[in-house]
Amino acid sequence: MIAGQNILSGFSLRLFPGQKTTLIGRSGCGKSTLLRSLLGFVVPEAGTIRVFGMELSSHLVWKLRTRMAYVAQEPEMGVGNVHDLLVRPFTFKSNRRLHENMNCVPELLERLHLPESILGKDVSALSGGEKQRIALISGLLLDREILLLDEASSALDQAAKLAVIDLLRASEALTVLSVSHDQEWIGFSDNLVDLSKSQNCAAA
Amino acid sequence: MNIIDISPWHLAAGYLLLAIPLGIILWQRLPMLGQTLRAVARMTLQLLFVGFYLQFIFELNDPFLTGAWILIMIGVADISIVSGCRLRMNRLAGGLFLALLAGTIIPLLIFVLLVLQDKGALNAQYVVPISGMILGNCLQADIIGIRTFYESLQKNEKAYLLSLAQGASLKEALHPFVRDACQTALTPTVATISTIGLVSLPGMMTGVILGGGNPMTAIKYQIAIMIAIFAGTAITVILAIRLTTFKNFTTWGTLDRGIFETGRS
Repeated sequence: MIAGQNILSGFSLRLFPGQKTTLIGRSGCGKSTLLRSLLGFVVPEAGTIRVFGMELSSHLVWKLRTRMAYVAQEPEMGVGNVHDLLVRPFTFKSNRRLHENMNCVPELLERLHLPESILGKDVSALSGGEKQRIALISGLLLDREILLLDEASSALDQAAKLAVIDLLRASEALTVLSVSHDQEWIGFSDNLVDLSKSQNCAAA
Repeated sequence: MNIIDISPWHLAAGYLLLAIPLGIILWQRLPMLGQTLRAVARMTLQLLFVGFYLQFIFELNDPFLTGAWILIMIGVADISIVSGCRLRMNRLAGGLFLALLAGTIIPLLIFVLLVLQDKGALNAQYVVPISGMILGNCLQADIIGIRTFYESLQKNEKAYLLSLAQGASLKEALHPFVRDACQTALTPTVATISTIGLVSLPGMMTGVILGGGNPMTAIKYQIAIMIAIFAGTAITVILAIRLTTFKNFTTWGTLDRGIFETGRS
């Protein structure tokens, strides 16, 4: 069973396999922090986080990161052209066996309304919306069980946003935990969690 | 040695030359008069001290004393790098000391034992200046390397964290940063190597010529020292980065912000 449990000052959340959950709540109430804490970038002062039933620790986090994908708000993927940045994760030892997934790039580009010529572009020349979609593609190529999306639709136009929603909806097995303010995005999720309603809203 | 000595009175005449830059500073009202005078005074005192001390070391020519002097030089270099990088001393000093030690001693031993291959080469008169030249260059390279490494990590933290999120090991995620820092640190030495002799007569060569050696001997020393310096800088930069990494990353892989004196940028 895939289950992530989070406690953020009296807050707990459980994710089920394939479920699409969206975190909402006013700015600064810890939505992004919650996603980052699942990756071990922020360590909670108290409480435990369990991912896939295992308690998150500095020892296990390295293994668990290979089972999650993360798309940050305003993604920064480094320097170079889009193709190189998509290939880069596959140079890591833990991802080498997935290298063939690069074959899915043309299809993913098409589904997200991006031209194939974008692969040769330098990442610094991309618009915000293009960057978000490329970062999402990079995450999907890694074939993870959980996808963490931080405001992944904020710079997308209507058509691109619907394309992203369609794509995620079609990935039935994929568990998605996202942070969003967008109404359409909220409409797509199975489960809505309002962090403002948890007892303490300070970012942990 | 057939070198012409300079008497204290003649050296005083040399100081008269200072009137020109000081005159320009006063004339243009450059706000650096105090700083300049302090620098000249400091140079004089430091060199006087080193002169007396080296005289003493050369006369005794005791391997332990020579070794101790080299260790002191490395210690001073260590402290000046850390203060030059505006990073926390206690986080870096230990690793840097080892990096400087390896970067100085390895090329020094090869220079003395394989290139010179003479019993006399173990004399303090050879060992101290050669290690000083290598160390001085290691110091420059470490300042550039360490600073580039930690500053670019701080600046590109999002891209670094993304690599971790993608499943990279610490080594894999740091690799682009290590590579850039090494390249930036080694570039000045490579540039010096390629223009040497054309732009300026390098220190070691000048020394051998003034000491009465012929120019061919001088260039052989210069070539050997340049290679020793290059090897030293390469060794020290990679070690400086690798040895300080242990203390400055958390077990979760994130950069420990405690290393920056000013905290968050």
